[in-house]
Amino acid sequence: MLEIKDLNYWYTNKEDALYNDVNLTFEAGRLYAILGSSGSGKTTFLSLIAGLDVPKKGDVVYDGKSIRKIGMTQYRNRCVSIVFQSYNLLPYMSALENIVSAMEITHSKQKDRRAYALAMLEKVGITKELALKNVQHLSGGQQQRVAIVRAMCCDAQLVVADEPTGNLDEQNSREIILLFKRLAHEQQKCVIVITHEKDIAKECDTILQLKNKTFQLVK
Amino acid sequence: MNFIKRAYKSTKVKMGRTVLLTLVFSAILIFILAGLIIQNASLKAIENASKSTGATVTLSTNIRNAFDRSDNSESDSEEGRPDPGSFQISPVELAIAEELASMDNVASYNYISSTSANAESFDAITSTDESSSENSNSMPGGRMAGMLLGDVTISGTSATDTLSAFTDGTNKLIEGVGLTDEDIDTNNVVIETNLAEANDLSVGDTIEVTSTSDEESTIELTIVGIYESSATVDSRMMQMSTLNPANTIYASYKVANTLKGEDYENTVDSVVYTLEDPGQLQQFVQDAEAAGLDTDAYMLQTNDQMYQQMLQPLENVGDFAEKIVLLVSVAGVVILSLIVILMVRERKHEIGVLLSLGEKRSKVISQFFVEMLIVLIVAIGIAGVSGKYVGNVIGEQLLAQETSTTSEVAAMDGNGPGGAAAFGGRPQGGGGGFQSFRNFGASSSEVATQIKDLDITISLEELVKLGGFGLGIAFISIIIASIGVMRMQPKKILIS
Ligand SMILES: Nc1ncnc2c1ncn2[C@@H]1O[C@H](COP(=O)(O)OP(=O)(O)OP(=O)(O)O)[C@@H](O)[C@H]1O
Ligand SMILES: [Mg+2]
Repeated sequence: MLEIKDLNYWYTNKEDALYNDVNLTFEAGRLYAILGSSGSGKTTFLSLIAGLDVPKKGDVVYDGKSIRKIGMTQYRNRCVSIVFQSYNLLPYMSALENIVSAMEITHSKQKDRRAYALAMLEKVGITKELALKNVQHLSGGQQQRVAIVRAMCCDAQLVVADEPTGNLDEQNSREIILLFKRLAHEQQKCVIVITHEKDIAKECDTILQLKNKTFQLVK
Repeated sequence: MNFIKRAYKSTKVKMGRTVLLTLVFSAILIFILAGLIIQNASLKAIENASKSTGATVTLSTNIRNAFDRSDNSESDSEEGRPDPGSFQISPVELAIAEELASMDNVASYNYISSTSANAESFDAITSTDESSSENSNSMPGGRMAGMLLGDVTISGTSATDTLSAFTDGTNKLIEGVGLTDEDIDTNNVVIETNLAEANDLSVGDTIEVTSTSDEESTIELTIVGIYESSATVDSRMMQMSTLNPANTIYASYKVANTLKGEDYENTVDSVVYTLEDPGQLQQFVQDAEAAGLDTDAYMLQTNDQMYQQMLQPLENVGDFAEKIVLLVSVAGVVILSLIVILMVRERKHEIGVLLSLGEKRSKVISQFFVEMLIVLIVAIGIAGVSGKYVGNVIGEQLLAQETSTTSEVAAMDGNGPGGAAAFGGRPQGGGGGFQSFRNFGASSSEVATQIKDLDITISLEELVKLGGFGLGIAFISIIIASIGVMRMQPKKILIS
């Protein structure tokens, strides 16, 4: 469902290009892990496939259509959900409102958005009481779970996450990665997770390692 | 519509920020409202001024030329001093007055012919101070007083209700009826209440007056109405009973003519034409001259001079208010823009989240705009409550300054060349200048009172205007601040 074609990117000059032109395909219903050393260009890659930045060379094709054609805003709105290391929730809202707002912004087809969001939050261990509190009053692990539920509740078929467990302890990390797994397998979404933790990567269906400017299939 | 909900949430949760914005916005709006109130009040006052002076043109004998003629005749005078008779102003021929009355644009006209007369069957109101009557001889016009001044003024007119003394509220009819067209050929009169009380007179009674020039000529007058006068005059003038406002008897101009003598039949002292359209004053004068009015013998005076005199301070206040509104609006845009720019910077993370969710930038900006609207509505409320107070304080201050300068100007005008301004100041007086002279004493203070009436109130219209200004300011500052939002890169904000 997502094709990367001759993709390349550089920040200042072409000589410092981050990749040898990348060609990759990601499929629905699978959980992908991208490993790589610090500074290898993982986050940059994610921003390109998430429609947060435009490639310097090559193209990102979603369901056979270049995301440039779809339009970056439209692509982010309808096709992709992003989970950040720093959660990135709206600070003046409760967990529930964050999710319902995101569903409204992305025009989710879900009928009773509030009930659905509450049910999904309940599934990840966030009670209604917690869900109605201002989101800033939740713990890091709880906020990350809210951010993931936000991605789950939106209709986008592609979910990308940049070190979603970076700020969490081992126990929480495991729970989070299991959530992503369910998201891929139960909802038939394509989930791409960037991580540097091997334990996390092991849970994924496919592992890609970014090394020497190329993506190598590890698993 | 999600951005409206977000705006509401954000405003509510970030109370501190909202309160701060509201206070700043209120302060700006209070100044604008004060400006608007003063501006509107001065506009209203200008309107009232034009209503009270009316759109009138006065036809009278050319006084300047009359004085010139008397100057020339001075050498003929045996005693080497001006002969009072030479001041006699030849009256306006009724035929000419009627010709002008038939012109376009004339809504109504009033024939004025005044004279003095001696009270026959009653006593005029007199000053109790006996010794002062000696002094009156030393005053200008004292000789006139000795020879021509009677006890009372017969103010001849064709209708009392259109006389300026009645329209501007100086005189108020309190009993009976005023004089109209139908009274022209009658001896009906309207007298002052003090005169009536002093002589135990009431509506229906008759009184007798005699001519000052011919003691044989006595006229019986029927009282049809009683008025109350609030006119004030100089105490020195009060000593001449003719000049006492209480001794003015309003009668048909024909009655005044009869008292003046046979020569005055079919004449008037002056005619006041009220025009339908105030803008037509100059046109009327031109038309009259084109129709062959003898400008050497007659003059037409528009009431512009007085109107302009009243207008000046009001226009100054209005201009000042307009500048306040403009200045504060610009300052408001600058201040609010800065605040919103800072606010947008502080909230860039939030903006990044929305952009990463695929929210349109226009909707992000709309959210800020709606937040500003919520603040604006509260601020208008605050400004509405306090703006009236501020407007009052500033308005009073301005008027206190403006009127004092105008009173000086008005006084100087009075001393102007030939004293013509004194007559022009109150054209409807007529009557050999007695009445004009008297009214002149009151005119400058009257200008001041009229302008003190700045009506400081907040109308719905002003609040709507204020809302417009607030909306404009909010809109412009959001537009300026949104340049920052347009340039924001969600990647840079969210991935650091
Ligand atoms: N805004 C930028 N301007 C210039 N160079 C940048 C910018 N962002 C990243 N880089 C450089 O690009 C390279 C890739 O950065 P990127 O953030 O994609 O690495 P990463 O794999 O995500 O590393 P980490 O594991 O530490 O997060 C790095 O060498 C970095 O220095
Ligand atoms: Mg990174």
